[in-house]
Amino acid sequence: MNLPVDGSSVFATVGRRGRLSYEFERAGPRTILTRSSCTSPWHHFPPSYLDDSGCAYTWLVNPSGGLVGGDHVSVEAQLHAHTHVVMTSPSANRVYRSLSEPAAQEVRISVGPGARLEWVPEVTIPFAGSRFRQSIHVDLAPGATVVLWDAMASGRVAMRERWAFAAVENEIRIRTPLGGSVVERYRVVPGRLPESVGLAGSWDYVASLFVIGDGVNAEIWKGLEAAIAVILDEHPGLVLGAVSTPAAPGLAVKMVARSAPDLTVTLEAIWAAVRKDLWNLPAPNLRRY
Amino acid sequence: MNTISLLTGLRFVDSFFPSGGYAYSSGLEAAAQDGAVRNAEELSRFVVESLTTGIGEREAVAAGLAHDAWVSDTLEIAFTADRELDAMKLGRESRTASRQMGRQVIRLAAEQNDRHLLIDDYLAAVEAEQTPGHVAVSLGLTLAAAGWSKEDTIAAFLYQAATGCVAASMKLLPLGQREGQRLLDGWMPVIQQISHRAALQRELSSWSPIQDIYAMRHSRLESRLFRS
Repeated sequence: MNLPVDGSSVFATVGRRGRLSYEFERAGPRTILTRSSCTSPWHHFPPSYLDDSGCAYTWLVNPSGGLVGGDHVSVEAQLHAHTHVVMTSPSANRVYRSLSEPAAQEVRISVGPGARLEWVPEVTIPFAGSRFRQSIHVDLAPGATVVLWDAMASGRVAMRERWAFAAVENEIRIRTPLGGSVVERYRVVPGRLPESVGLAGSWDYVASLFVIGDGVNAEIWKGLEAAIAVILDEHPGLVLGAVSTPAAPGLAVKMVARSAPDLTVTLEAIWAAVRKDLWNLPAPNLRRY
Repeated sequence: MNTISLLTGLRFVDSFFPSGGYAYSSGLEAAAQDGAVRNAEELSRFVVESLTTGIGEREAVAAGLAHDAWVSDTLEIAFTADRELDAMKLGRESRTASRQMGRQVIRLAAEQNDRHLLIDDYLAAVEAEQTPGHVAVSLGLTLAAAGWSKEDTIAAFLYQAATGCVAASMKLLPLGQREGQRLLDGWMPVIQQISHRAALQRELSSWSPIQDIYAMRHSRLESRLFRS
């Protein structure tokens, strides 16, 4: 999926172009922010340190409350060797109704040797009539690991607005140092065909989690896969999910959930298992609520 | 298409062809055990959705790109589609099944009396593990070499996938042969439409989360008739 670049299309005349850029380096036990820049609608917050692991917890903040048609926002980050960064957001990514232009979000992150990236934003909520295009590309150096979570709601569920958006296009690509990739790419256009939403239409949340890296031994992957499979079966009828091994070293999880609490409790359990098995770290307390 | 082209291609699509496809259920076994697919109507919905927005926008496009590779004598197009397919097939079982069937197709295609350098080169790359050798790509190259059109090639791939689902379902559900044929008859216009659309696409995508989840859950079933 190639998103138009600034100035090359209708995006030059409609919507906001916001760019958020970060660079992290390792300084002793801590990961520190060494360079950053940001333009509206992004708002810059310096990373916080929520525990003694040295991990830089970084909040992606868009105070405008969401994206409108024609917005083109981007996040770029460079994680140098042996850094550890959690990137998350304080609230759901709301995408408002648009009659023509999509709202676009583009994420490009390079993860250096031995570094750890945890990309765990809140869910995307595409409002009725909204159009959203997202691409997330992560390049991993040798020994680097990414935990990448991406979740979408069917709409404003509390308002009984389900699968009423105009279109959502999503592309996730994780490249490993030896050239292997994991790719998820979909385009959902609910009004196009009777099958467009499909069996997922009876669920309200669809999510994927990728845990990819070449620095983890096979036994750890095997144990983590078994642990995640157990977690996914803990809420029968409320969560349906599966875990498997993709073409690159690591695990891929796909799941659907009936409600936001079902989704959140499952993510938190899986995330805790990932951190424990990979790094012997506790689950983060993001103090979001 | 002349008669020899038709027959050459049919050999690879026929259920008599030893690709091992009979051993795979494409997640249907897990869905049936979970009660998500219990009868012909639910089976039809599961399969039509997969054909339309799942493999119909992923494998079908890859088969079309493989056909392009043959027509333009540029194997790199097939390699790119093959790699992309490998990256997008997240479930180990379905990815392995696709690669095993594809390897069998391209090996036998290379053994035909009518030899083609492009087929030989692709087989060499598969055997050297330089390309995954997914069945959509192998079949796309093979049917193109037999003289089939791009749309017919894609339709044949989808038809083979559809018959595989019906064959598996006859072992999993209370589904008779006549009912199976009735389902296939109803899917023909769907396959025709998807083939036309997929022939115009260059980018692989897929939206069939429930089917994907069941395919990924299959390896954890306690009792299994199928390998996927």
